[in-house]
Amino acid sequence: MTVRLTPDQVALRDAVRELADAKIAPRAADIDTSGEFPWDVVKLLADHDVLALPFPVVDGGLGGDLLTVCLAIEQISRVCATSGLIVAIQELGSLPLMLAGTPEQHRRWFPDMAAGRALPAFALTEAAAGSDVAEIRTKATRDGDAWRLDGAKRFITQGSVANLVAVFVRTDESPEARRSRRHLSCFIVERDTPGFSAGKVEHKMGIRGSPTAELHFDGARVPDANRIGEVGEGFSIAMRTLDRSRPGIAAQAVGIAQGATEVAAKYAAERRQFGRPIGDHQMITAMLADMATRTEAARQLLYTACDEVTAGSPTASRWSAMCKLMAGDTAMAVTTDAVQVLGGYGYVTDYPVERMMRDAKITQLYEGTQQIQRLVVGRDVLARGG
Amino acid sequence: MPGAIWAIAELDDEGQPTRLAQELATLARGLAAEAGADATGVVLGAGAATVQAAGTAFATYLPTILTLDVPGTADHAAAAAAAPALAALVRERRPAVVLVGASPDGKDLAGALAGLLDRAVLVNGAAVRWADSAPAVEMSTFGGRLVTQSVPTVEEALILVRPGSVTAEPAAAPGTVTAVMPAATETLPLVRVVERVQAEAAAASIDDARIIVAGGRGVGGPDGFGVIRDLAEALGGAVGATRAVVDAGWIAYSQQIGQTGKIVKPALYLAVGISGAIQHKVGMQTSGTIVAINRDPDAPIVEFADLVVIGDLFEIVPRLTAALRARQA
Amino acid sequence: MRIVVLVKAVPIVGNERLGDDRRVDRANGLEANGNDEYTMEAALKLTEAHGGEVTLLTMGPAAAAEALRKGLAMGAARAVHVSDPALAGSDARTTATVLAAAIRRLEYDLVFAGADTSDGLGGVVAPWLAALLGLPYLSYGSRIEPGPDGTTIQVRRLGARGYDLLEAPMPALVMGTQVLGEPRYPSLRGIMQARTKEIATWSLADLGIPAETVGAGVAGSRVTSTALPPPRAGATVVREAPDVAVARVIDFLAARRLI
Repeated sequence: MTVRLTPDQVALRDAVRELADAKIAPRAADIDTSGEFPWDVVKLLADHDVLALPFPVVDGGLGGDLLTVCLAIEQISRVCATSGLIVAIQELGSLPLMLAGTPEQHRRWFPDMAAGRALPAFALTEAAAGSDVAEIRTKATRDGDAWRLDGAKRFITQGSVANLVAVFVRTDESPEARRSRRHLSCFIVERDTPGFSAGKVEHKMGIRGSPTAELHFDGARVPDANRIGEVGEGFSIAMRTLDRSRPGIAAQAVGIAQGATEVAAKYAAERRQFGRPIGDHQMITAMLADMATRTEAARQLLYTACDEVTAGSPTASRWSAMCKLMAGDTAMAVTTDAVQVLGGYGYVTDYPVERMMRDAKITQLYEGTQQIQRLVVGRDVLARGG
Repeated sequence: MPGAIWAIAELDDEGQPTRLAQELATLARGLAAEAGADATGVVLGAGAATVQAAGTAFATYLPTILTLDVPGTADHAAAAAAAPALAALVRERRPAVVLVGASPDGKDLAGALAGLLDRAVLVNGAAVRWADSAPAVEMSTFGGRLVTQSVPTVEEALILVRPGSVTAEPAAAPGTVTAVMPAATETLPLVRVVERVQAEAAAASIDDARIIVAGGRGVGGPDGFGVIRDLAEALGGAVGATRAVVDAGWIAYSQQIGQTGKIVKPALYLAVGISGAIQHKVGMQTSGTIVAINRDPDAPIVEFADLVVIGDLFEIVPRLTAALRARQA
Repeated sequence: MRIVVLVKAVPIVGNERLGDDRRVDRANGLEANGNDEYTMEAALKLTEAHGGEVTLLTMGPAAAAEALRKGLAMGAARAVHVSDPALAGSDARTTATVLAAAIRRLEYDLVFAGADTSDGLGGVVAPWLAALLGLPYLSYGSRIEPGPDGTTIQVRRLGARGYDLLEAPMPALVMGTQVLGEPRYPSLRGIMQARTKEIATWSLADLGIPAETVGAGVAGSRVTSTALPPPRAGATVVREAPDVAVARVIDFLAARRLI
């Protein structure tokens, strides 16, 4: 199937691009150097209703579908991967609620997120449970009409700034539950819950403005009303969430690749060596061609995956893994080439491509490493014979 | 003998036919000669003395002038006040061609007239000649990228003619002026003029200026326009501007040239600090000679100018003004 | 205030082409007439200040709907698109007749039109329409405001030396210019909300207009020839220092007898 953007999707994409170029691009270098979470960008995105995109209209959102949200992430990531991530996390952190929350839970939390007043986070990973999600140890024990959470999460994007965190915890220790993947549950933990705190914030190679935090649960008491879905539905919720959130990361990666290609192209048209713009030297021309072609291929796969996921395709997981796999590897390759095109200038911080290369790496790591994506796709290929 | 060729006179603030009206009259004479028809001018205004005086001035250009006293035009929007009387006159006299100037007032009048008469209008006429018993109207289409010829498909046509179709030239001898009073059978709703407000100093009109010096964003601000004005003055020309500059409030909208402003066709157009984007280009690309002063050698205007000076306009323009003045001295 | 805003879909500037009948191809690559966005903005501001709604109206082929989208995203409540294959090649007369028929089916206090741009229909459709509808016509507006008692509309009509303040009772037809003020950027919310706004499509049959009374076949004029204007020779580029450059400019202008 082919994807054609509708006129309003084109209008929205262009409107976000204009906003990103005008207001976010000038901040990108500083966000990276300072490593500070850009609250001003959060406000900008909130004021322009970008953060409202994924949420239902009834809750003050814009009712945007997955592709529409990805269009926004892509355009912002073109100029600043950290800022693009804010939009991606607004979607990721709210997906468990979208997929399995009750209407009452939606009314409780969506309006603030749609208004950009509340930021979410998605807390699945632990120190000893990264790719191996089933190994999660943070546990929740029933305590009257509440649950008591004990444990710790690691590498949680926005964990230290989020107003609400979707936390995945073990609620059943039995081997049968573990075998049938019904041993985890999901809870919304609000920021000021006693016993819940953010710990160390990591120093990272890239997306340095996005705080990646440890979260500590020391007897944190969470009402049962904050449980999302059934007890034991947590693993399923996590997997369904990732199916839908991986395109958001693919969009970030495509945006990074696009931004890097644009910088490299502009440089190659202006920089002269041996009497000509370096873009005229065939090895550079070829690199630019490859960068653009690969980025476009990743983009087309992303758009198609969005449509497939939205349509509820039985192979949605495969599509979403494919697009994230392709986009992440593309972003890394394209940004590396962009540094190459700029030569020495690509290595220094005066030009943005070294930052884009450092930013690109994470797209091969989070929301499922490329190796996990390959497992998902490969297993499906074997199961279907192609 | 075919029906007459009419030219409708638009009057300026002093009650005299405008340059455009004079051009229309000259054009009407030429067409009439080619067609073997009569040329007639029509003057509309408020007050017998006013239309008589205007008619006499217009008679310098045409053998026959008909004057219509429409008192309503004094305190009301002119087109709706005058159109019914003019329509009645047209029905009575059946001219073959009615030429109306493509000014704001002319367009309003032509539209109202066409609505009353249910008549076709040929618009944007840059030139008109007579061919095969009909007027052939030349229009510059797509902002000058193409020139088309059109003819009416009906017997009687209204034609809107732009400034500069011909050079206004008085006739050999003055014509006769006759006041007429057709019986108007319909009316259009009148729109009251509550007040007329004059701006302090109206800039020289760019509509029919022979030389225009236009400034764009490169000029930097309203003060930057000082060098543009000086140059225009030294050349005896008018000052024009791009839309960006008008939107920024550096100059009045009446000086704007381009797609949403005016189309001009001066003999000399000096584009200062103007990149030459398409929306501006369509307003001036049929100018006789185009000179561009710009610091960017890759600006689009380089593609269609005749002479391009690459440099800082604040270095070049004042020196050009001084050199021109020295030359005149 | 119920305001109908006429939106004309015109070929995108720079991309215009002629169709096979040597008329402007209005079937593809369309955008809203440059001045229509200013009148749209003026209409939205008035309804925001005084209550009411804006309805957009356009006449044209399917691609003309593009021109409506932006207005809906800016905040217009709904749109009407008059579309019929028989309308191809319509001249100003047909356009005015068809638009009048469409407007008669709407309820309104004001009809707004944008001043025609350079390749438009000569600025005649708006006054023509007013004549057909029997509406007071206020043109070249630089400011539009309700009159003091709310039953009239006041418009400043731009002139060469200032403006005339016009006043007429509503309903009225107002033609506006760019001086009305910059149109707003559609917000994301506006873009998304536009998806659910109604665009009613009306055919000639819906308007009770026989197909043979409109279109190229009954146009008041036809194109007999097209030609390219004489090409410009190509620019002479002067890069010398200012004094030398100025001398070259003067020589150039003198040679062409312009000074």
